[in-house]
Amino acid sequence: MSSARRGSTILGALALVFILVGQYWGLVKAPPDAYQGDSQRIMYLHVPSILTAYLSFFIVFVGSCLYLWKREPRDDILAYAAAEIGVLFTALTIVEGAIWGKPTWGVWWTWDARLTLTAILLLIFVAYLMLRALIEEEQRAAVSGAILGIIGFLDIPLIHMSVYWWRTLHQPPSILQPDKPPWENVHPSMLVALAINFVAFILLYFYLLSQRIRLGEKQAELRRRRLYGRR
Amino acid sequence: MGHWGFVFLAYGLVWLAIVLYTLALKLRLRKVEAELASLEEPAAAPSSDLPAADNAPS
Repeated sequence: MSSARRGSTILGALALVFILVGQYWGLVKAPPDAYQGDSQRIMYLHVPSILTAYLSFFIVFVGSCLYLWKREPRDDILAYAAAEIGVLFTALTIVEGAIWGKPTWGVWWTWDARLTLTAILLLIFVAYLMLRALIEEEQRAAVSGAILGIIGFLDIPLIHMSVYWWRTLHQPPSILQPDKPPWENVHPSMLVALAINFVAFILLYFYLLSQRIRLGEKQAELRRRRLYGRR
Repeated sequence: MGHWGFVFLAYGLVWLAIVLYTLALKLRLRKVEAELASLEEPAAAPSSDLPAADNAPS
């Protein structure tokens, strides 16, 4: 087994351990919220999901900038891989938010600024994946994808600031408040549940990313072989 | 549906989606590796496997 594959397997195993501990902490150990009751436990998935999606689209941004600058195929493979996984985590964030919203707000969906901007983020990166699939010429697909990836990432600061700029339904962050430490707002065992699940999602993310990058490399090799024969 | 119903719906959907994506990724990887191996096979075969007419000087 190569060292990269061994690293990926270790990452996957570690992610599994953290996921199991995180689920136990979130569903059993953490207390119910004083106002929201047990439905608040959805936050132990919702917050790590969106932070993982942000990280993923940041990697798309970096990979896209590097590709446009240096034209190295490995940067494009990284950006493409991160975009696909980012779409998964953004879609999950929206689904989790909707399921949490129904018992808390009384609706599955509302055209709140943060929700709408997150839906736009998802649509931009679904468009990215469609663009990559539809353009046959490899380099053109990579350049178009890189431009869209950079534009798409610019939506993330808007999503983050939307709760401050527009006072709509979505609450401001409970943890990352500039004037208050997180433990003054959130019960310590809730913070622990959130932290473990966040680590679990990050480990899972890098496991999936390593697998998706491997797929991208193999696909590139296959295309090369089909075009030029065996080299 | 009670609060726990929403919690289990969310957790169930999330982990189902992640497991399905992981399996789909594994399947795509296996398919590409099989295609690469199939491209490797004819190239690795000895030239004596070719029909005699193809090897004959014209």
